[in-house]
Amino acid sequence: MKENIVIIGGGIAGLEAAGQLLGLGYKPIIIEKSDRLGGHVADWNCLFPDMTPAKDVVGRLIAGATEANIFLNTEISFVNKLKDSYNIMLSNGISIITKIILVTTGFSVFDASKKEEYGYGVYDQVITNRDLEHWFNTGNDRRIDDCGMNAVGFVHCVGSRDEKAKNPQCSKVCCITAVKQAIELKQKFPETMVYCFYMDLRMFGKKYEDFYIGAQRDYGIRFIRGRVSEVSENIDGRVIVKAEDTLSGKPVKVTLDLLVLMAGMVCNPDSTKVANMISLPIDSDGFLKSRDNVADIIDSPKDGIFYAGACTGPKTVPETLAEARAAALKIHLYNKTMQ
Amino acid sequence: MRERFLTGYNDFVLPFVFGMLFVLTYCLIGMIRLIMQLPAKDRKRFFLSLITPKILFKDIKDIFLKCLIHVDLWKRNKLLGYMHSSIAFGWFMIILVGHIEVFLYTSNLGIKALYYPIFFRYFVAETESTMKGSLIFFLMDFFLLVILSGIALAIIKRVRSRFFGMRRTTNPSFLDLVGLYSLWAIFPLRLLAESFTADISGGSFLTKSLNYVFTEFLSNHANMLPAWWAYSCALGIFFCVLPFTRYMHIPTEILLIPLRNAGIRIVNARKGLAKAQVYSCPSCGLCIDACPMGVMKSNIKDTTVYLNRQIRRNNEARIEEISDKCLLCAKCTAICPVGVEGDKLRIAQRSMRRYNFGPDYSNIDTSVLSEQCNKFVTNQNKNVSLTDSKRVLYFSGCMTALTPAIRKATESLLGKAGIEYEIMDRDGGICCGRPMFMAGRFDQAEQMVRKNTEIILGSGADTLLLSCPICYKIFREQYELPGITIIHHTELFGDLVSSGRLKVRKDDTKYVFHDPCELGRGCGIYEQPRQALSAAGDLVEAAKNRKESICCGGSLGSLTLSFEKRKAMTENALTNLTAASPDTIVTACPLCLNTFGRYADRPVEDIAQVLDRKTN
Repeated sequence: MKENIVIIGGGIAGLEAAGQLLGLGYKPIIIEKSDRLGGHVADWNCLFPDMTPAKDVVGRLIAGATEANIFLNTEISFVNKLKDSYNIMLSNGISIITKIILVTTGFSVFDASKKEEYGYGVYDQVITNRDLEHWFNTGNDRRIDDCGMNAVGFVHCVGSRDEKAKNPQCSKVCCITAVKQAIELKQKFPETMVYCFYMDLRMFGKKYEDFYIGAQRDYGIRFIRGRVSEVSENIDGRVIVKAEDTLSGKPVKVTLDLLVLMAGMVCNPDSTKVANMISLPIDSDGFLKSRDNVADIIDSPKDGIFYAGACTGPKTVPETLAEARAAALKIHLYNKTMQ
Repeated sequence: MRERFLTGYNDFVLPFVFGMLFVLTYCLIGMIRLIMQLPAKDRKRFFLSLITPKILFKDIKDIFLKCLIHVDLWKRNKLLGYMHSSIAFGWFMIILVGHIEVFLYTSNLGIKALYYPIFFRYFVAETESTMKGSLIFFLMDFFLLVILSGIALAIIKRVRSRFFGMRRTTNPSFLDLVGLYSLWAIFPLRLLAESFTADISGGSFLTKSLNYVFTEFLSNHANMLPAWWAYSCALGIFFCVLPFTRYMHIPTEILLIPLRNAGIRIVNARKGLAKAQVYSCPSCGLCIDACPMGVMKSNIKDTTVYLNRQIRRNNEARIEEISDKCLLCAKCTAICPVGVEGDKLRIAQRSMRRYNFGPDYSNIDTSVLSEQCNKFVTNQNKNVSLTDSKRVLYFSGCMTALTPAIRKATESLLGKAGIEYEIMDRDGGICCGRPMFMAGRFDQAEQMVRKNTEIILGSGADTLLLSCPICYKIFREQYELPGITIIHHTELFGDLVSSGRLKVRKDDTKYVFHDPCELGRGCGIYEQPRQALSAAGDLVEAAKNRKESICCGGSLGSLTLSFEKRKAMTENALTNLTAASPDTIVTACPLCLNTFGRYADRPVEDIAQVLDRKTN
């Protein structure tokens, strides 16, 4: 079929949608800003709840999309609205005329240094969930001592459900990610004490609750309900964390060798840029606004423009993939009505 | 001059006499009540100040300069200054010269003294000898012209306030309007009335010329009486409504100035000095444009001018709402031409609220905290030769605990300068008490002040260093720490940089300094941070700075303002700061840093961070 379909973003949503569209006989075009496909998931090591290697998931998706036209290291310079289509000008000089655009620009990880009280960027021994995954992948981080960490802490909801961080929404995946990462650390360092400071644990997904119970029962991970109030550094560079245990009603103070901040999801600034080019509305949570948040989450208010994945809000990997498939089908049906 | 009428009386003087007697009685009773409301100590202080020549002289000078000449307004806005001083000073001069005239040319005044100085021209006729008084005729006409020019400006201002550089002005109440229109009417009517009699009782360039020009109308003496009646009625109406309008500020300010000069402070939000301030408010509305909440139209009615109005109306619900909402940035206090202290009024109002229970801090055990601070006393004994007599105790405070970068940079700079220090709240500490003080909960604040005083006095330090202006203000104002210098880190760094103990690398980064409310308006520190910053880069200024700096919007002062609503204020403050397009916004308050950091489009740093990066 001749119709051009442009997919903005080569993360898992873009790849899955491309794979499905290829199966339906289309030849989609993927525009990816960075030099590789797979997005954030490609940076991750294992995925909850079955510890599936992220590499495998991304590898399968890339394999399924190889037939598509893929532009790496490419950004959108500008978009012109024509009568019933869009003229997309790419940074590599190519222009594409299309009637169908699928936005899969995804999310950004919250900049943890904005929550200065947690000390990211101020104290050496404070890292983020992303840094930890990087270490799981590469084993390369001078802040993580391979032999002998006495205690490690995880702070949940960093930049999520936090009005002061301009992010009132729940990032959905950090609770379970923290449980996963805590277990992985404990597997590597069985002697280390691991604390999780949370305000709520939202174990909504398949097998999440089992995962969480396992973390307590099998791994002895300590869950403390209460937000961290203050982080400071002692003379030997370890961090002192003060929090309130709201279940026992007592203040707690622990000295940790490593503090991991569970940075949440915020709307990707590139999504906003794209939205501005095509005049798509932004929802009150800062993510792209769907036509309807219940029935038409993958439809934009504009004909021919569709969404998939975390550009409309925080999502898990399976949710993103499901949306990508739904979007592919929707595009197929839309294309049929056009003819 | 000779009298035209044997009785020296006409019925038209009655509205004026009634009005004047009413307003004088009202003000006298009000003044006595207000002075009686003062706490006994303050009252004694006030009476003493009135017989202290130095203060008395200052009172008279201030009353002349502020009430009549309006110097503060002149400094701020020349046109507005002229408008107010022309009416006030012109009217004063007319009254003064009028009295001189009456006393020069009449004998046996008696009861006539009540109205003769006002309506003199009706009751007398010019004689040959009066020409000696032509100077007085001239002066009377001249000052009438001055007032009329002021009234003309006032009318223009009411129609187009932008012409005066004011974006917004107050909405007058109904009685304010009655007062306003009667005030506007008084002087044109006086001109008309005196023009009628100018050919009998004499006049100068204004009245006489008018009489000649409109000779058909003005020389017809049958028209004379209605004009004099109208003049007297306008005066009578103005005086009768005056106590219930904003014009009450005219008599009240004369009382407020000596009270202030006597050094009296607000104790009760509704009595004594607070009352004098409330009634001194002329509703000029300068505080509306100054208020950081003013960026949102819905908050305009929460500015100090409306607080004063609601207090006068005893509208309890609104008084409470306005008092709790305010950020206490004190900008309205800084720019108020009559010296209404909007922030202190609100704190006093908040302190009137009774709580059923309150936290009790008096049982906190300070021994553990004291022990930490004492460490450096023993250190000092070992390293006497290393230190330069300064033993600095650094209290970083709660807000700095949330911005650890400031504490880290401050510690690093202290180390670089070779100053021996100890941190007072390294492992937890007690709040300085300022937030509780701002909430009007003085007892709780006092408990914390006492606890911290214990710790500090026991530490053996001679300098208390603070990096948070919120703490700094209360330490300076409410703590009694004999022998201990209290300094903010901007002062210390300013001194260290200018004395060369900190060598700062200068580059061409453009910095703008945001004056935190509590540091600038609160404690008057403007120069040292600028000195220190100019050593590090190129210092540019915000559109509104120093005394008129705009609150970041994050202030602890507001008890009710939601996070959402503060955003617009922060954005407005940022627009003001970035007027000269600086590369980095520098502040000296952890709370400002935190608030700006959230919305700024360029880096925001504390002065300690900037200096630390640029020193070795």
